[in-house]
Amino acid sequence: MKEQQKKRLLELTGICFVLGFCLLPFIWMVIISLSERPDFLLHNEFALTLANFIDIVTIQNLHFLDYLKNSMVIASISALLSTLIGALAAYAISRISFRGKTLLIVSVLGLSMFPQICIVGYLYKMMTGLEMINTHGALILPYIAWSLPLSLWIQMSYFSRIPKELDKAAQVDGASRLQTLFRIILPIAAPGFLSTMLLLLMFSFNEFLFALMLTSDHAARTVPVGISLFQGLHGELPWGYIMAASVISCIPVILIAIIFQRRIIQGLTQGAVK
Amino acid sequence: MSKALKERALFLLPLVSFVALLLLLPVVGTFWNSLWQDVPFIARRFVAFSNYVQLIKDPQVWQSTLFTILFAVVSVCLEMVFGMVTALVLNTRTRMRGLLRGIALIPWAIPSVIGARVWQLIYRYDYGIANIMLSQIGIEPVNWLGTPVGAFVALVLADVWRTTPFVAIILLAGLQTLPDDILQQAQIDGAGLFQRFFRITIPMIRPIMIVAVLFRTIDALRVFDLIYIITGGGPGGTTAPLSMYGYKFFLNGDFGYGSAVSVLLFIIALLFVALYVKVGRLRAE
Repeated sequence: MKEQQKKRLLELTGICFVLGFCLLPFIWMVIISLSERPDFLLHNEFALTLANFIDIVTIQNLHFLDYLKNSMVIASISALLSTLIGALAAYAISRISFRGKTLLIVSVLGLSMFPQICIVGYLYKMMTGLEMINTHGALILPYIAWSLPLSLWIQMSYFSRIPKELDKAAQVDGASRLQTLFRIILPIAAPGFLSTMLLLLMFSFNEFLFALMLTSDHAARTVPVGISLFQGLHGELPWGYIMAASVISCIPVILIAIIFQRRIIQGLTQGAVK
Repeated sequence: MSKALKERALFLLPLVSFVALLLLLPVVGTFWNSLWQDVPFIARRFVAFSNYVQLIKDPQVWQSTLFTILFAVVSVCLEMVFGMVTALVLNTRTRMRGLLRGIALIPWAIPSVIGARVWQLIYRYDYGIANIMLSQIGIEPVNWLGTPVGAFVALVLADVWRTTPFVAIILLAGLQTLPDDILQQAQIDGAGLFQRFFRITIPMIRPIMIVAVLFRTIDALRVFDLIYIITGGGPGGTTAPLSMYGYKFFLNGDFGYGSAVSVLLFIIALLFVALYVKVGRLRAE
């Protein structure tokens, strides 16, 4: 079985390649965050320290914990609401017949194609007008809208696979549409709901351009903006702080990615394939 | 009748109002604003297409357009190759498959700003690990972020790192739909490993490959975070994509011209989509 061996060898090379490719930059980030100086390779002396982590958590005017809190609040509220609103609409689209359905689907999906820059300038003026600049709401509202096409698309494909007889039966028993959705359909589509929410959570946690434009200080600034703005005293970037902040911010995302990899992959492919 | 109407409103109104107010309105508003002169301290005034005339005369717009397209094309091509390799690896039957898939998601799952910061440090001229590794094998240090070509290569590599997982996941879904018996039959008929891959696997998952290319191109054309962090558009504006060029005008309060730049980016994205749809159809026939 020469081919079997060849295949095995290719597979092993491939696995090493994928692991190295994905993990090495990440490992480098962890090493720098634990190192006293970012240029230790030049001097060949690595000094292990937790100072970077302690500093970014304890030094008040770095505001890292504020950014982290803002990010978590904004991402979880917008992901939850977007998934719910998407579920309502996906249910109606998969169950109720009405005029203009195709137009609705096509225009919602078409709008998701626009580059963010095409809406951020106008959003800035809008939020300024509403006096919402630099509040959580200034990010939550656009994040919901921005993630709704994906939320709708993923959940539509989950709902369309649930037999419609279930709805009929529930309605015969006197349940309203809304009760049917929440008592019968959503429990069955729970994996889809979870996949959608996890994906949207990541999108909102990672988003940068809106957050950069629509926030101005630690009252609403999120982690990505905070990390992009770290400044050193003498123009030199505080690499230790940046990497320590990055490691802390990555932990929740990476845990989610590894624990829920199957859910996330399912959500992504539901959204893309079809 | 009115009950049915109320029911529909209940389910669809939240979605429709969010999308209409926070996506459609801003998009239309941006098109509208691109026809105005709208800068701080001067009264807003309607100028029709003069922002667009200025756009054509602006050398940085040409530079940015060229960069945006080149960046998207080169990165997407590389990402398809890397993504395919990764997808094949993730599709193998190993015991650690779940963990492997989770790890492969990391570059894509962590905030792009964080990935960009790591690469920015890797590319540093004096103590970046890229140059230190090159010097170990006797190659002169490369001025990654200080030269136009170095910066382009650096940005493409960082983008490939970040989005390969996404492409891999999409292609993996395609690989999983391949019927095993066709591949086995081909093996019995004497087709080698590579022959099977190029003659059967690729043609069979071509539709999904086109989907991946389409998604990635749309996304690569609007690249912002990565470049904002790693090069800031430098050196000398050679790596400023259109979205970043437009952002600079918004930042300075010039909403008319910034909107015109945004509209240009949208038109380019639309042309690419039209191209793929056409190519996709031709292939299918």
